[in-house]
Amino acid sequence: MKQLVSAPVLFVGAGIFLVTGLLLAFLYAPIDASTMVYSQKIFFYHAPIAETALVAFGVAFVAAILYLRSQDPRWDRLGVVSVRLGLVFSLLVMATGMIWGKAAWGTWWDWEPRLTTFLLVCFLYVAYFVLRSVVEEEQRRATFAAVFSIIAFIDVPITFFATRFLPAGMHPTVITMGGTGMPGSMFVSFFISMIGMTLLLVALIRRDLAVEELKDRVADLKNSIGG
Amino acid sequence: MTIEEGAKFVAAAYAIILAVLMLYYVLSARRVNTLKRDVQLLEQEVQRRQIGAGGAGGE
Repeated sequence: MKQLVSAPVLFVGAGIFLVTGLLLAFLYAPIDASTMVYSQKIFFYHAPIAETALVAFGVAFVAAILYLRSQDPRWDRLGVVSVRLGLVFSLLVMATGMIWGKAAWGTWWDWEPRLTTFLLVCFLYVAYFVLRSVVEEEQRRATFAAVFSIIAFIDVPITFFATRFLPAGMHPTVITMGGTGMPGSMFVSFFISMIGMTLLLVALIRRDLAVEELKDRVADLKNSIGG
Repeated sequence: MTIEEGAKFVAAAYAIILAVLMLYYVLSARRVNTLKRDVQLLEQEVQRRQIGAGGAGGE
C-alpha cells in the first residue's frame, strides 16, 4: 500500500517543529517567575515527550484490541513497536523529570502520585517484553501480549489524571479543564514541540514497522532455504 | 537558583533527549539497511537454489 506521507518527510517535519519549538522556548517564552526559574525550560520537551509516550501506549492498546478481534499479525507488530517506542520516550521522561526535580525541588525523586504511577507504567511495559520473551509459539505470544497490553494501559489514564485527582503531589498540573495555566508564548512553544514529538513518534513507528516486516521476511526466507 | 545553575540542568536534560533520540534514529536506520541487504542476499540464494533444482531436474 502506498503511504500518503513518506518517512523522510515525517522526520524532516518533526525536526523542523522540534527545532522551532526549542528556539521559541529559549528565545520567545518568558523565564518562569516561580521557584523553578530557568530550569522550567526543561518543560518544553519534557511534557511533549511524556504526552507522546502515553500516546504510544494508547496506540499499543488499540492495536491489541484490533489484534484480538482479527488475529492479524500486523496489529501485533504495531503493538510491539508502539510499546518499544513508548518505553524509549518514558525513559526520557524519567531522566529529564529527575533532572528537573533536582533543580526545582532539590531532590531527584519523590514518591508522589504522578512519578509513582509513571514508574509503574514503565515497569508494566518492561514486563510486556518479558512476557513476550517467555512464550515461544507466535500466535499465543501475540495473544498474551495483546491481553497484557490492554491490562497495562489501565495505568496510563491513572498517570495522566494523577495530578488532577490527587493534587497533594509535587508535580505541577499545567493543562486543566480551566485552561493551560501558562502564558500564550509558553503555550505556543509547548504546542509546537508537541506537534514535533508526535510527528517523530509517527515517523519512528513507521520505520520500526518496516524493521519488523523485514525481520519476518528474513525469517521466512531462511525457512524456505532450510537455514 | 541562579540562571547559570538552572542552565546546567537544562543543558543536561536536552543533551540526554537529543542523544537518545539521535541514537535511536541512527540505530533503526542501520537496522533497516542491514535487514534489506539480508533480504536481498537471501532472495538471491533462494533463486539460485531454484535454478539449481530446475537444472538438476532437467538432466
